[in-house]
Amino acid sequence: MKEPIPQMIIQARGLRKTFTTRSRKGAQTVEAVRGVDLDVAEGEIFGVLGPNGAGKTTTIRMLATLIVPDAGTATIAGHDLLREPAAVRRALGYVSQAGGVEDTTSARAQVLMAAKVHGLADPKRATAEVLARFELTELADRPARTLSGGQKQRVAVAIGLVHNPPLLFLDEPTTGLDPQNRANLWERIRQLRESGTGVLLSTHYLDEADALCDRLVIVDHGVIVAEGTPAELKREVSGDVISLRVDEPERAAATLKPLARETRLDDDLLRVYVDDGERTLPVLLRALQEQRLGLTSIALDRSTLDDVFLAKTGRTLRDAGAAA
Amino acid sequence: MIRHAALFTGYELRKSFSNPVWPLFGLIQPVLYLLMFAPLLKTMTPGGTTVDALRMFTPAAMLMIAVFGALFSGFGLIADLRNGSLERHAVSPAWRPAIVLGRVAKDMVMLVLQAVLVLVVAFAMGVRIGVVELVLMLLLMAATGLFASSLSQGLALTVRDENGMSQTLNMFTLPLMLLAGLLVPIAFAPSWMRFLAPANPLYHAVEAGRALFHGRPADPSVPIAFGVFVALAALTTMWSMRALRKIAG
Repeated sequence: MKEPIPQMIIQARGLRKTFTTRSRKGAQTVEAVRGVDLDVAEGEIFGVLGPNGAGKTTTIRMLATLIVPDAGTATIAGHDLLREPAAVRRALGYVSQAGGVEDTTSARAQVLMAAKVHGLADPKRATAEVLARFELTELADRPARTLSGGQKQRVAVAIGLVHNPPLLFLDEPTTGLDPQNRANLWERIRQLRESGTGVLLSTHYLDEADALCDRLVIVDHGVIVAEGTPAELKREVSGDVISLRVDEPERAAATLKPLARETRLDDDLLRVYVDDGERTLPVLLRALQEQRLGLTSIALDRSTLDDVFLAKTGRTLRDAGAAA
Repeated sequence: MIRHAALFTGYELRKSFSNPVWPLFGLIQPVLYLLMFAPLLKTMTPGGTTVDALRMFTPAAMLMIAVFGALFSGFGLIADLRNGSLERHAVSPAWRPAIVLGRVAKDMVMLVLQAVLVLVVAFAMGVRIGVVELVLMLLLMAATGLFASSLSQGLALTVRDENGMSQTLNMFTLPLMLLAGLLVPIAFAPSWMRFLAPANPLYHAVEAGRALFHGRPADPSVPIAFGVFVALAALTTMWSMRALRKIAG
């Protein structure tokens, strides 16, 4: 007897893409994606987390039939990506990083057009429904250029969902939104889980991946460095992290090493990974005092996905983003 | 396929008419040309009447709208490339060539509307043209417009930058216009220009247009112009559809 396998809406194996750009300095090749495997179950919110330039958008664009992978295969909603791209497109809602909302015309016109292109039986009704669902009815007949960033992003998602696809791609959906609009959009993405729509979401925000995703992969330099649920990934690194600023960080690191699962020094910031922060903290303070190490600041946090990223790549996500 | 092409044409047309001021501006320009430029030509025209000048200038004005109106329509495509809507349509089940063809068809509809307006004004000013010639003239204009519009879409998808696009267009439009005898007939030009002119496809269209307005539909310039523009339009249309494929993978 076989165990029931959850239905996979995306199965990708060994996706690769190399870009060649020609300039006066000669041809330059960038290996944007270097062998990515993905398994996304029906109805789950799946995250692709990584710094800018990690290959997130290239991966999503390959899966959306926009660019042809150099190598690898994928099946999306039961259709082969390379042999049946038209069938894949029918199963997809796609919201690119740019959003895809035209300024010159109204939200209603754009949603209606998408409904018609998908050949819906009653495009007007589907349009009215999705506009109402995203609280856009009042704004739907204004030219889209008069909408705020958050409103426009809602229009973008509404366009992607008008045909009720089983799978929605969201490429960095909250970049550039203020905290309130981000929270609002998060809530709407969570609601998709209830309606059974699967989501493939790329982001470089840790809190976003943590708050939304059922499972995620962390990508860096075109490869997956970690995969799991947010909780699993964080547990894998360690329970808690104590961040210290001390006078002699190297000596402090050596002193604290026996108390920790791992220590990590970035410039003058010392991170000490421990299983139980509350219990370790007094012991750690006593050890520093015995060694006469001056302490400037100390903080105790649950480990975050940034710690996972740090553990896997040796860099923090923030640094990686700044370098890209 | 045809359903999608029609869908995109309707969508683009509605977009054009959602702000009716802009298409109106587009319509006014050729009329102003007729009202203010044709009289200037009077002294240079054999016969020397306004009607003679108009018979020479109206076909040129119509072709000018066709070429220069449509050549700039690719800018809209660059905007949609940037805001991501083009990419979004490419991921939809839409038949991909329809995305470009819809825009080209929209340009053709706008061109016919403008042409009708120009003809009404020319008629009011005393120009008369036969039905066969009229139909041929409109078809010639459509072929020219199809060429210019699809060239513009292809160029937009290739250049992908407003600045580059306007520089490229400027480089081509002036010689294209002067070497076609659009404003002043090429018969007035020095011999080296008359020698070069036949290399300019637009020259043949203008010659054919003038023959039509002079009631000579059997003039050899007419089949030449149709041959040239049907071939060019077919080439640029295919090119623009290929350029889209490059964007969309």
